[in-house]
Amino acid sequence: MSDTKDEERFAMIANVWNSRAKGLISEMDLKIERADRQGVEIRMPFNPDFCLDEEGTMLHGGVLTALLDSAFGLANFLAIDDVQTMATLDLRVDYLRPASSRTDVMVFADCYRQTRHIAFGSGKIWFDTGDRKEVARGSATFALTRGNGSLLDKMKTGGPGG
Amino acid sequence: MKLNDIQARCDRVPFFRHLGFSVTEANASQFVARMPFEQRHIGNPVIDTYHGGIIASFMEAIASLTVLDDVQSPPPKPINLTVDYLRPGLPGTLNTRATITRKGRRMASVETVAWLEDEEKPVAKGLFHFLLV
Repeated sequence: MSDTKDEERFAMIANVWNSRAKGLISEMDLKIERADRQGVEIRMPFNPDFCLDEEGTMLHGGVLTALLDSAFGLANFLAIDDVQTMATLDLRVDYLRPASSRTDVMVFADCYRQTRHIAFGSGKIWFDTGDRKEVARGSATFALTRGNGSLLDKMKTGGPGG
Repeated sequence: MKLNDIQARCDRVPFFRHLGFSVTEANASQFVARMPFEQRHIGNPVIDTYHGGIIASFMEAIASLTVLDDVQSPPPKPINLTVDYLRPGLPGTLNTRATITRKGRRMASVETVAWLEDEEKPVAKGLFHFLLV
């Protein structure tokens, strides 16, 4: 696959992923800043609904976990050409610092190894404050099915319940 | 801790309201809660299943409640978590049971299980560590 074709595919996936977002992904109002085979970088605006306190000073850790899980999904989607379905097998997250900032949250995720049946992902989260101090790190494994009739086609056509 | 007091505390946490769970059992070392399915919990746009992060967040929320000394205690600081996803998170009311494995002076370890209809057929299991100081 040529680079240009790759770029077109990445743009299409990012576009479909954005436009078909629903549920938590749309609540999080995610913006893809970078998306290619080497990984994805996504921005999540601060949202008081995701906080531990009414004053909105601290994000709940679970939001960071959800953000990582979402980013892993997109990273797999980009890195694995013939992915049909993917299911998270397990997810591990380390909370490195308190999530106390009202700036945008940034997440990076990549699929650093794929086999026929399994994909391995790693990711990290930081606040968009300039010092890029890591707030959380995560890793996950996914069970894959591969074949014709890709996930991208299903996303494009809507699929059941969509 | 009384269920009413626990629920009142949860109702003051924006993200817990977003999850929309209610605690149904609260014993010294074990909490049970239920969470009705909502559109905003969806993770997979093709098949409308729970977002894995919502399942993990729900389990983390209940796990964090079990380690409180009393209903006024400050929230514990989450250190890390591991979640095994065992079955598809199909739309439906999700239940979670969180059980303290070990609670010391500084650290607590809590295991959780989440299920839809049958606790014997869990959707996910989790292990959560909290710092209590």
